[in-house]
Amino acid sequence: MLAAAGFALACGVLSPYAVMLLTALKPDAELRTTPPRVLPVAWHPGNFLDVLGDPAFADWLRVSLVVATASTAIVVLAAAPAAYYTARHRFPGRTAFLFVVLVTQMFSPTALVVGLYREFFELDLINTYAALILTNAAFNLAFAIWILRAFFASIPREIEEAAAVDGCGRLGVLMRVILPLSLPGLVTAVIFAFIAAWNEYIVALTLMTAPERKPLTVGITSYVTAYVQHWNHLFAASVLAIVPVVVLFALIERQLVGGLTAGSVK
Amino acid sequence: MMRLLAVVAAITALAVACQRGSGPTLTVVIAEYSKDHTRPFWQALAEQYSKQGGPEVDLRIIDWNSIDQQVSTMIQNNQPPDVLNLNSFSSYARDGLLHPADDVLSPTTRDDFLEAFARGGQYQGKLYGMPILSSARAFFYNRDLFARAGVAAPPRTWDEVVQTARKIQALGSGVIGYALPLGPEEAQAEWSIWMWNGGGDWKAGDAWAINSDANVRTLTFLADLANRHHVTQVNPGKTNRTDGAFGLFKDGKVGMVIGFSPLAKQLDAEGKVKYGVAEMPTTRDKPLTLGVEDYLMAFKKKDNREAVKKFLDLYYQPDNITRWITAEGFLPVTKSGLERMRANAALKPYLDALPNARLVPTTDPAWDRVKLDVQQNIGLAVQPGGNPKQVLDQLQRNAVAAAAR
Amino acid sequence: MSGRRWEALLWLGPSLALIGGVVFYPAVALVRASLGRYSITGVYQGSVGAENYARLLEQPALPTVLANTAVWVTAVVSITVVISLALAQLLNQDFPGRALVRWALIVPWAASLIMTSTLFVWIYDYYFGALNQLLTSLHVLPQPVDWLGEDTTVMGAMIAVGIFVSLPFTTYVLLAGLAGIPGEVYEAARVDGASTWATYRLVTLPLLQPALLVAVVLNVIYVFNSFPIVWTLNDRNPGFGHDTMITYMYKIAFKSALRDVGLAAALGVVNVALILVAVVAYLRTVRWDDDAAAAGSA
Repeated sequence: MLAAAGFALACGVLSPYAVMLLTALKPDAELRTTPPRVLPVAWHPGNFLDVLGDPAFADWLRVSLVVATASTAIVVLAAAPAAYYTARHRFPGRTAFLFVVLVTQMFSPTALVVGLYREFFELDLINTYAALILTNAAFNLAFAIWILRAFFASIPREIEEAAAVDGCGRLGVLMRVILPLSLPGLVTAVIFAFIAAWNEYIVALTLMTAPERKPLTVGITSYVTAYVQHWNHLFAASVLAIVPVVVLFALIERQLVGGLTAGSVK
Repeated sequence: MMRLLAVVAAITALAVACQRGSGPTLTVVIAEYSKDHTRPFWQALAEQYSKQGGPEVDLRIIDWNSIDQQVSTMIQNNQPPDVLNLNSFSSYARDGLLHPADDVLSPTTRDDFLEAFARGGQYQGKLYGMPILSSARAFFYNRDLFARAGVAAPPRTWDEVVQTARKIQALGSGVIGYALPLGPEEAQAEWSIWMWNGGGDWKAGDAWAINSDANVRTLTFLADLANRHHVTQVNPGKTNRTDGAFGLFKDGKVGMVIGFSPLAKQLDAEGKVKYGVAEMPTTRDKPLTLGVEDYLMAFKKKDNREAVKKFLDLYYQPDNITRWITAEGFLPVTKSGLERMRANAALKPYLDALPNARLVPTTDPAWDRVKLDVQQNIGLAVQPGGNPKQVLDQLQRNAVAAAAR
Repeated sequence: MSGRRWEALLWLGPSLALIGGVVFYPAVALVRASLGRYSITGVYQGSVGAENYARLLEQPALPTVLANTAVWVTAVVSITVVISLALAQLLNQDFPGRALVRWALIVPWAASLIMTSTLFVWIYDYYFGALNQLLTSLHVLPQPVDWLGEDTTVMGAMIAVGIFVSLPFTTYVLLAGLAGIPGEVYEAARVDGASTWATYRLVTLPLLQPALLVAVVLNVIYVFNSFPIVWTLNDRNPGFGHDTMITYMYKIAFKSALRDVGLAAALGVVNVALILVAVVAYLRTVRWDDDAAAAGSA
């Protein structure tokens, strides 16, 4: 019963992407036909080979991986202490801090790109990884702080105190006790930060103008221009772009289940 | 896990530290016409330029969807490019941002421009918008559908358009008589062609004349194609050109559409549709078509004149410009280019159309607003219940207001 | 006390540095731009005070766009949260193949929004789309529908995609919240003889409160600011009839006869204010306060 529901859910969620995959396997002439055909007549896996063999694609993939990985690391490193401290201590400005963090999310990146361009131009960081990594980290911080804070707050103080008695410093407590107990939240934050950076478009478009510095989202748009459209290549590249995220997720997904229920409140 | 994150962060810091290094550069912004040809050509040109002693080129290829936004961002931050390729220029000239072409072109290059395109790049009598390439629209028809419907020749008058479209639409099973794209993407192009062949124009003399009687008649004719004769695709006011009208024509479902040479190139590559290219059906003595000129412009920046001049002269060397225009499938803008491209039989219908091609009024800075207004709103006129006169009246009011700004 | 303050700065420092270093400058630049006059090309022509804000109120499209935005945000967020609660409950159970289902659910999140939007343009297409094909062959529809062209269906079509892409994020936040609920409380409820539904309502939901709060607040912000879906699915439609505040802002800046980045910046500031009001109103209604949230699932 549950398995059937789960199967139906998986099918429902994946069906649009099946259309994407099948379109990516069609030759040009079959892309748009009436009446529509979901399956290709002539299967054309060469589209994937074309994309994989495109040196530009390798560049985009590398940039996306570096930016998403590094910005995720920074997000976690910056968010964890802040979330822990706000979960554990009352201090003047705590609510203000949490709210300021939230407000950073409220600015639409589209509205901010002009200022961001200026900022990184002045810093001479246009076309650098640093610019995009820092921007992504800053804009994805709020979610990580809020979700981690909810998790930290739910960990009973007694556990911490016991650890402190055992001779861990504050940081030691955070690293060895709190974080492992909050793994579901941490994993969610990591996935969120990674995906948000992986899919960011408008800032990358503005800050990364050199071809070897464009991430996937920006790069693949060139498969379809106003005059020449390689939809099958675009879709093939999009399918390929999903893979690393799913792999990352598969690697850390188990942690979502474990966490608190397994280890703690005994 | 934390250790892993720390390692990653350290690697990042290193990656960041190992970059940069700069000198004087020439920033060149080019719109992306195609993935296969635009960057390869300009990259090679930039390298050739640097090898001949020019500064490094910061080449930015930007897709058409975001180029307005990206260029605006650069200008808002007082960091305009040195050389920019766009489909408009006069607003930049009016804002005093541009070098006059005479300052950045050698006379031989300047004199090589085809006269019509040189005129199309003038603001207040001076050339600022240098033609980079051109295209001309032509009337495409599906030969198979024409044969099946028993139509011998493409229509020459608007009555024949209606009759032909009806016969084709009557073939049934989803076949469409005429594909009319008046959605926001390129509505001004489709509208210009019909408008001119209906005897109207954007302007009468120096004044905007968007809601002239002739234009109201033309737009009513187009609305009737959709709503009275039912010979267009569904919702023509909400159909874009590239993935709407062209897509349907490429599938062989459409009798007639207004196309251009890049469409022909794709049709040839796919080999699915047997098509013919004809002159526009018209109510005038002689059919008119739309010529489109894209521009290069040079921004005034400190001490950049010589560097820009060298770069432009390099692009306009007949070998270079013709190689690129040919690769992208567009039409020449120079006399020498026209001579060279005459040899290409596939281009004949478009080259023949060039002398009869009219340009939209890009020389008027108000056009940059009028164009967007037309793109956003003219589609409303051909929707069921739409009012062509009302739509054109509003566009006219806005155009007059834009001209006064 | 001041020692305490320094301590706080130490723990919050990295976050504050990131926000201060990256977000502060462009945010100020946005506010400044909203007070300026710009030419069509983007040249700054001096300050005009609050004039852009006044002009914003005069825009005839504003009421429509505001209403669209309200419908868009409310529908997407509320439906997403309800469905996600069920999905999280399902995925929290053990069943064969659960890991695979979880992987599948990540896909709409992992795919970039632009690409998913483009994909749905294809699926919704009147002539070539898989949706019409499916629905007409199943005789759900007598004839195809121009989903993205008919004024009556565009918003619904966009909302469906909005929900579709918001489900994974929301479900995983709630799933993480569920994982944080200790098994003991369920055992206690079972001993008390509570029904499944009563257990869910009285035990699970209250303990899920912090996660739910994060999910709702962030979804409101993200859905409000969501650009690609509305932009891509609505790009064929003339006028501003189906725009939200974000796409309207972009059109004001670059795609309409206004072409005014000062006016667009003013709208950008107004947007932030609107989201702020919505979020504060929400936090008030759920009586969020710091300590309750902190104590919430403990």
